[in-house]
Amino acid sequence: MKSLYQTIICTFCIVLLLSSCTDTIDVDVPNGGDRLVIEASINWEQGTSGQDQVIKLSKSTPFFSADNQVPVTGASVVVINEDNGAVFDFMDQNNGDYTTNNFEPIIEAAYRLEINYNGNTYVANETMMSVTPIDYVDQDIESGFGDDEIVIMAHYTDPDVLGNYYLAEFIASNNPLVGLEASDDEFYNGNQTFVEYENENLATGDVVNVNLYGVSERFYDYIDLLISQSGDGEGPFQTTPAPLKGNCKNINDPNEEVLGYFRLSEVSKISYTVE
Amino acid sequence: MIKKVSGFTNQKSSMRRRLLFAMLCLPMLLIAQQNYTVSGVITDEYNGETLLGASVFLKGTTIGSTTNEYGFFSLTAPKGEYTLIISYLGFGTIEQSVVFDSNKKLNFELKEDTAELEEVVITAEESKKVNLRTPQMSVSKLSTKTIKKIPAVLGEVDIIKSIQLLPGVTNAGEGASGFNVRGGAEDQNLILLDEAVIYNSSHLFGFFSVFNSDAIKDIKLYKGGIPAQFGGRVSSVLDIRQKDGNSKKFALTGGIGAISSRLTVEGPTFKDRGSFLVSGRASYAHLFLKLTDNNSSANFYDLNFKTNYKINDSNRLFLSGYYGQDNFDFAGVFKNAYGNFSTNLRWNHVFNDKLFANLSLIYSRYNYTMEISQRGLDWESDIKNYNLKYDLGYFINDKLKLNFGLSGIYYDFNPGLLQPVGTDSGINRQKLDDKYAFESGVYASLEHKISDKLTAMYGLRYSMFHRLGNQTLNVYENDLPVVYNENLGIYERAVPIGETSYSSGKTIADFGNFEPRLALSYQLNEKSSVKASYNRMAQYLHLISNTTSATPLDVWAPSGTFIDPQIANQYAIGYFRNFRDNTFSIEAEAYYKTVDNRIDYIDGADLIAQNTIETEVLSGESRAYGLELLLRKNKGRFTGWIAYTLSKAEQRTLGGAAGGPGINNGNWYNTNYDRTHDVSFTGSYKLNDKWSFGSNFAFQTGRPVTYPDGQFQYNGLSIATYSDRNASRLPAYHRLDISATLTPRKNKNRKWKGEWVFSIYNLYNRKNAASISFGQNEDTGVNEATRTSIFGIVPSVSYNFKF
Repeated sequence: MKSLYQTIICTFCIVLLLSSCTDTIDVDVPNGGDRLVIEASINWEQGTSGQDQVIKLSKSTPFFSADNQVPVTGASVVVINEDNGAVFDFMDQNNGDYTTNNFEPIIEAAYRLEINYNGNTYVANETMMSVTPIDYVDQDIESGFGDDEIVIMAHYTDPDVLGNYYLAEFIASNNPLVGLEASDDEFYNGNQTFVEYENENLATGDVVNVNLYGVSERFYDYIDLLISQSGDGEGPFQTTPAPLKGNCKNINDPNEEVLGYFRLSEVSKISYTVE
Repeated sequence: MIKKVSGFTNQKSSMRRRLLFAMLCLPMLLIAQQNYTVSGVITDEYNGETLLGASVFLKGTTIGSTTNEYGFFSLTAPKGEYTLIISYLGFGTIEQSVVFDSNKKLNFELKEDTAELEEVVITAEESKKVNLRTPQMSVSKLSTKTIKKIPAVLGEVDIIKSIQLLPGVTNAGEGASGFNVRGGAEDQNLILLDEAVIYNSSHLFGFFSVFNSDAIKDIKLYKGGIPAQFGGRVSSVLDIRQKDGNSKKFALTGGIGAISSRLTVEGPTFKDRGSFLVSGRASYAHLFLKLTDNNSSANFYDLNFKTNYKINDSNRLFLSGYYGQDNFDFAGVFKNAYGNFSTNLRWNHVFNDKLFANLSLIYSRYNYTMEISQRGLDWESDIKNYNLKYDLGYFINDKLKLNFGLSGIYYDFNPGLLQPVGTDSGINRQKLDDKYAFESGVYASLEHKISDKLTAMYGLRYSMFHRLGNQTLNVYENDLPVVYNENLGIYERAVPIGETSYSSGKTIADFGNFEPRLALSYQLNEKSSVKASYNRMAQYLHLISNTTSATPLDVWAPSGTFIDPQIANQYAIGYFRNFRDNTFSIEAEAYYKTVDNRIDYIDGADLIAQNTIETEVLSGESRAYGLELLLRKNKGRFTGWIAYTLSKAEQRTLGGAAGGPGINNGNWYNTNYDRTHDVSFTGSYKLNDKWSFGSNFAFQTGRPVTYPDGQFQYNGLSIATYSDRNASRLPAYHRLDISATLTPRKNKNRKWKGEWVFSIYNLYNRKNAASISFGQNEDTGVNEATRTSIFGIVPSVSYNFKF
């Protein structure tokens, strides 16, 4: 009986591993039309001037469109420091980028973004957020199913006051896609904790650049939803995807869906070579 | 303090008047005739198990009844001589002459129909009419015998999966936990195991159910026309009764399957005054994960227990229990365990031949723990309840039967305790507020045979719910925990402006609801009847979950200051017909159901370890309607059914006091379990004593999903945009399963009887999508759609034995 037992169990094991599978398929998806995308991410690292900044304008495309880079040109873009009235003009580079070289980053200052495009005015308001520095980066081996994977952990010490929000960016030399992780201090307030990154091909000698941004609570909610909807969730425990609503608004037509976000962050950067 | 009482509408008050009228008429009816009563218990001759729902009938009259949950019946008829006919599907029929000249106690034993191969000539054809006449509709019964014939994934007999083959029952997909009844949510099913509430019916996150079929006697699913004795959930009641244990002889049954092994021991005890049953099931220690050469494991087990002791003819005690647990360990990085525990002490008391009573003292608990060692996080949560209930059945006369009783449940919720593990943990200890509540109810339900053809059931339940301290609640401006941000077009958590503390035992909020129930049946002729029903139900608990399928980690939240109880109204009509000597039966039902105060989650709701659930939800409504057809073949070599459901289930959440248009712009959207078409075919064929075969086929419209309607470039990534909720659908779901059971011939003269069950699940290896996710290819960065399918073709073998 015992051998039968084992035969059955093994059959089952193989079957189950083979049967729970994923594959790529063709799907017809709806097309919600093209929408204006505002990527206005103002970053400042301690010890730098923060004068050079870029704001990107583009259009959204159908989900499966390969031709997905649609720059928007001919707009006028300004950022205003509402506390001191300073105005920063962003110059149209005719490739979707709008740049300035005289920006003045001030932590906790309130800024306003104003874009004029096609006769419409788009505005957004945001406060520049500070960040705690990355203390150090180390790595670990994670062995869940199958192969062992290298995990990169960037440790930082959360300040004592509750209500700090983070966006971590991981740019690995072996992978074209940026890794994002959002974090808050709900469980970790005042403690040293970490953000982590892994990709299945990470190997000794690969370089991972880690950027830790301080962000507002509202941006955290936005980016957390964006990350959780970016293909990570699988199986029956998925959350129903929702529209990603940023903070930019067309004041001429408040119903227009405007994608993207205007945020201003202090950033802590560190480069790590996988051991 | 908030007080809410939902009163009657005009329509319902007329129903109340009728009910009162019927009550007032009782004494007159009682003295009208010289009547005598015969009462007793009906059991299975083979193992002494009481038979639930067996029909007892006086030939040539319209006087008849069915046995209750404890096998008890009571028949009252005018003085005279009658032929008593007792029958139960799958059992032989007893015909016996009985003189009604005094009140008598008569117990009967029915013999299982072993000669089911030959067309059994049913002499007691009339007895079947009892089912046509009873106003109870929308109820599905499955015997464990039937369930065991249905091919199952890996041969693991599964009650929850089996009921999904019936019309009106679906779930969120393969590998999803729970089930959905008539467009109701998973948390709207009252799942009772020997009357104890089971909070999570799934093992392995939904692959298997917690009910070990070897320990189960009877399953009844009420989809509508729910009797007044039940309350607390708005969509359905799944009433599962454990076996009492063989009272005739010691017996051993068991099985060895691909997933688990089972063993049941039962036998007489207390010097033949009672019996016991102990049943265990355990999955193999480390299941499938072990094979991958790592330290991960997943396993589950169940233990069922029941014993009873007959003090005398009028008093019997029952003690039953269930304990089940799941354990997961993913290489020590993530550990998770969860399970249900319940126990029930019952006292059956027969006051006299007309009045039957049962007192139950029930405890049930659901808990889970989780440890994420990498994060140094330990998490635990549980829900406990203590339930006292007293139910009485009064068989007044041949025309009136009254059920009445009361119940009280005390709840203790522990939504979560987070603790650091290890010295370098970055976690702060955090305790989410414990919550306490008391739910009570009184009910009366009168079955009234108005004429030979027309029978009515009037029921009324009054339920109350008290949310109790000790707890401190946030106070929000204008009492709005969620506010609409007009500028950004999103719903946001309100910032608390203060706190209110409630001391232990103090009422925080209370609710009271009248829940009228009405059912009518009109017998058109010997073979057919029409029925109609209405029920109103209140539900005070809400499962907080915004995933497609509930997870074992979701917490239950009681109604209170910010969350109102769910109120359902359901209307159903049906046509029932037996034909070809009851070989076939057809049931057609249409229903319409609405649920008020169905909570919905704001976009980006944060439900994990959330102490203020009220800041993540808005109150909405749901509605569902459908048509169900069930054609059954009940006798012969071939038995089985075809079920078809055409239905719609939608949900809508307006902004209300919070402002704004609401969730999904305030538009109706399909629920995750909406299935336009749902067809299933289930059949079993007994070729000979050696071989029998089973098969089932299921086809369902794909699950509603939200597909992306565009992409945009952000932070170096291509990001999907989404708009209307659940506006697309997964591809249709279908699959075919087959099984063959081999009973070796040498069994006949042996004590040890074995059988082999060979089955193939998803015979044609359809890759049914459990989900489709959208994202960028890791290597190329190109957008793609990825389908996850759970079970391809799955062959299995299991061996069952009896000794």
